[in-house]
Amino acid sequence: MEVTDAAVVAQVLAGDRDAFRVLVDRHSRSIFRVVYRMAGNQQDTEELVQETFLRAYKSLERFELRANFSTWLYRIAVNRTLDFLSARKTHMQTKDTYQIVDQPDAEESNQVQLPTSTPGPDRLLLSSEMKQKIVGALGLLTPAERVAFTMRHMEGRSIEEISQTLNLKASAAKNSVFRAVQKLRQQLEPYAGQGSPSRSSRWGGSAVK
Amino acid sequence: MNHLSEEQIVLHYYGDAEEAPEIERHLAACSECRAEFARVQSTLKQIEPLEVPEPPASFEEKTWLNLRDRLPEKGGFLKRLLRPSPPKWAFAGVMALLLAAAFLAGRFWPRPGHQIAQQPPSQVNPQRVILVAVGDHLERSQMLLVEIMNADTKGPINFSSEQAEARELLDSNHLYRVSSQQAGDPQVARLLDQLGRVLAEIANGPAEVSPGDLEQVRHTIQSEGLLFKVRVVGSEVNSRVRRPELSGGSVNQRL
Repeated sequence: MEVTDAAVVAQVLAGDRDAFRVLVDRHSRSIFRVVYRMAGNQQDTEELVQETFLRAYKSLERFELRANFSTWLYRIAVNRTLDFLSARKTHMQTKDTYQIVDQPDAEESNQVQLPTSTPGPDRLLLSSEMKQKIVGALGLLTPAERVAFTMRHMEGRSIEEISQTLNLKASAAKNSVFRAVQKLRQQLEPYAGQGSPSRSSRWGGSAVK
Repeated sequence: MNHLSEEQIVLHYYGDAEEAPEIERHLAACSECRAEFARVQSTLKQIEPLEVPEPPASFEEKTWLNLRDRLPEKGGFLKRLLRPSPPKWAFAGVMALLLAAAFLAGRFWPRPGHQIAQQPPSQVNPQRVILVAVGDHLERSQMLLVEIMNADTKGPINFSSEQAEARELLDSNHLYRVSSQQAGDPQVARLLDQLGRVLAEIANGPAEVSPGDLEQVRHTIQSEGLLFKVRVVGSEVNSRVRRPELSGGSVNQRL
């Protein structure tokens, strides 16, 4: 009979560090898929998977043995990815002081060549113009909107799960999903052959009560 | 009659609107809102889940190997006390010896123009030794910075293990900075200079820090783009170490 995750956690907490490998073997692929949908490229995803497990190991004392380990790990992965997306956004915003270039000039000390400048799978796999627009539009979301939208739209997670994972109130989780959809519509509907403009631009806040 | 708001329509699409029966009734009666709902539906149906590539067969193995040495001991103080200390010290010692050997080798090595043809091919290349040491130093520094950026910020934070690591790194940082400068890598030397200041800030702080203190350290790391620079330069150094010949120019030429 397979040893449960909780039993493995107990073993690790008792000092058997190598037992943690069982949890890595069991869960790293599913965490890879979760993170990839949000991070959008393999290199970042692989690093984030490692950091997720590292953070989980360090917080293992806080894991309640009756809880579901994969759910707990999923939450760590999503939050770690959210932090990463926020940091990446900050880097992009400060690139005027630290430029990312394809052909760095040896004279310019503030230029840096990224180790992997190849396009991520976002761009490689999506060939049609509309799909490229979708990738571009997803890139305009804030990290929280992107994570909430990915969880709701792509993974079919409930608002309750999103709010628990991101430590938000349900209303804030709903709002993140809504703002994401609103931005995506603004970007995509002009290209989607939907001739008449979205009503949101004409009618403001009237609502059925 | 009021129309449905965009938010109501979007949330209704996902089944998350609180007043679903009223919205249903309104949609049945209002062609304009039905058209708006259809637009939302059509747009969202086009956004399919991103295709996720299958990681390689060795993915679990690779993840574990990268992770194993970064996992601290668990199981209580006594257990840690009885176990030999982590091999970091030993490794740092070996690196220091190698570096000293590299200095000596660099000092007494015949200049390339003179007797290079007589050098046995198996002899240690001092530049390579320095690069290996700097690559390892940057990797360890990166791990420390990542840990700090990811640390929980609730309540007082025990920072003692991070401090011990920062002190160790700080000791060798100065040596590597000087070596890099002498080896003609001013860009690496500049990065190590910047890294040294942050390591000193971590090493010399209190053992228990408040979330505000931690935030300040994170701000320093973030505002200087330090983690990013360490990653990029570390990756470049490692790729140079893997090259068979080490005659190619400094990291500076690539930055």
